Amino acid sequence: MNKQPKLKGLFVSIVVLLVLSILALIVIDMANTSRRDLPILGTVPDFQFTERSGESFANYNMQGKIHIVNFFFTTCVGPCPIMNARVAELYQKYSTTDQVRFVSISVDPKRDSLAVLQKYAKDMGVVDSRWLFLRGEIEEVHRVSEKGFMLAGDLPTIHSTKLILVDKNLKIRGYYDSFDDENLRLLTTHVRELLYGG
Amino acid sequence: MSSKVKNIQRFALTSTIATYFLIFIGGLVRVSGAGLGCPDWPKCFGRWIPPFSINQIPVGFDATNFNITLAWIEYLNRLAGMITGILILITAILALRNFRTERQILIPASLAAVLVALQGWYGSVVVKSQLMPATVSIHLLLALVIVSLLVYLTYSSYHLSSNTSIIATRPERKLLLILWLISIVQILFGTGIRSSVEMIWSQFPLMAVGDVLDQVGIINYLHTFLGIFLAIGTGIIGLQIKKMDNISPLTKQTILILNILIFIQIFIGINLHLFGLPPILQVFHLWMASLYIGIVLILYTDLKYEQVKNE
Repeated sequence: MNKQPKLKGLFVSIVVLLVLSILALIVIDMANTSRRDLPILGTVPDFQFTERSGESFANYNMQGKIHIVNFFFTTCVGPCPIMNARVAELYQKYSTTDQVRFVSISVDPKRDSLAVLQKYAKDMGVVDSRWLFLRGEIEEVHRVSEKGFMLAGDLPTIHSTKLILVDKNLKIRGYYDSFDDENLRLLTTHVRELLYGG
Repeated sequence: MSSKVKNIQRFALTSTIATYFLIFIGGLVRVSGAGLGCPDWPKCFGRWIPPFSINQIPVGFDATNFNITLAWIEYLNRLAGMITGILILITAILALRNFRTERQILIPASLAAVLVALQGWYGSVVVKSQLMPATVSIHLLLALVIVSLLVYLTYSSYHLSSNTSIIATRPERKLLLILWLISIVQILFGTGIRSSVEMIWSQFPLMAVGDVLDQVGIINYLHTFLGIFLAIGTGIIGLQIKKMDNISPLTKQTILILNILIFIQIFIGINLHLFGLPPILQVFHLWMASLYIGIVLILYTDLKYEQVKNE
């Protein structure tokens, strides 16, 4: 008589555990999928700029690597120092991989000569080509910023402080506010998804 | 049996099961990273029912943070929390109305109701703190205290209808309380490891899980050490109690279940290390720990009563 309820209890526990496991697996999988499915927000436009090293850098040079893109100018005293300090932190965080690169495009090519960009990069602690500083004709920068990356602003003084995530196939996958810690954490999550999530 | 007794038994048991389910969902929210699925509280993106699409997000909310799946996972946690809260509240009202002289009913029921209201409010603090590790741990700690009170209440309410036992004094009960307390500390160590892993990941996003665990440091070893200590402690206390006279069949069963649970916990813990913290195992590791402390409390309460022989 004692055996019956015991077996019943065991049976009920196993069923409960099974149901909970399936529920949990579904929820975790849904959450992972939802994060991995980053929307494709656009494509990097055609451009041909000059890197601080003097070498030419075009949109197709971004193929095969993940890029975090932003717009700035070296003499900016407003939000740019904070924005690029954040990019510098990310640059350090990803120092062990060459799969993640940073691209900062100057919106003030008049003052930001290659020499100025070189010094700026050095001051930011940039020692390799994982962080690129680009310079191009202002009309071109306008076109790339507004039409290509869909950022609004009256260049050069007013420009977006968003960081733009670009995947290995030149697709724009996200915009992140460089002043929002939570948003930047999301950026690192998304980079991980793009790197390992397939 | 009077209908009053039956009612409180039913509500106490339902509240306990609901709370355990809620702890499970809470763990799921944590591992699926849905804690900030709704940026505001108590509403979700300014709505009582979360948005189904990005177009439904009101002005003033950052649409770039919107993820429909995560929003709904977090929302279901809140919904389940609300239902559980109401169940506990009804239980407390029943206790206040019908069992004012039964302290073993009145105290846990009303305390649980106060704490569950506090827990609801604290949910807003957790969201506003952007899931600061300490606030998340306090959220869990409160849940563990609430579920412990409910287990105690449920057991006491089922004892209202039995008249076969008398109250016994057994010093072993103190040991069980200590076991309960150590288990709570152990669970907090566990959440500490989880928080450290997240912190390290935000600093070194490319680090492999195995390397991250090595970086966690002392708390990782403390958790392992205390886990082994708890397993040995559970075994010894179990043997000690089994030697005593007049213990109920329930006591024997709970001792067995406790030992099985702690064995499963160690097994899951090892696998968490081996397989790089798979989320599903994290959820069950925490949930089984909460079951363990509940069953420790059942044993504690059960030993209060002495089985009357013969009949």
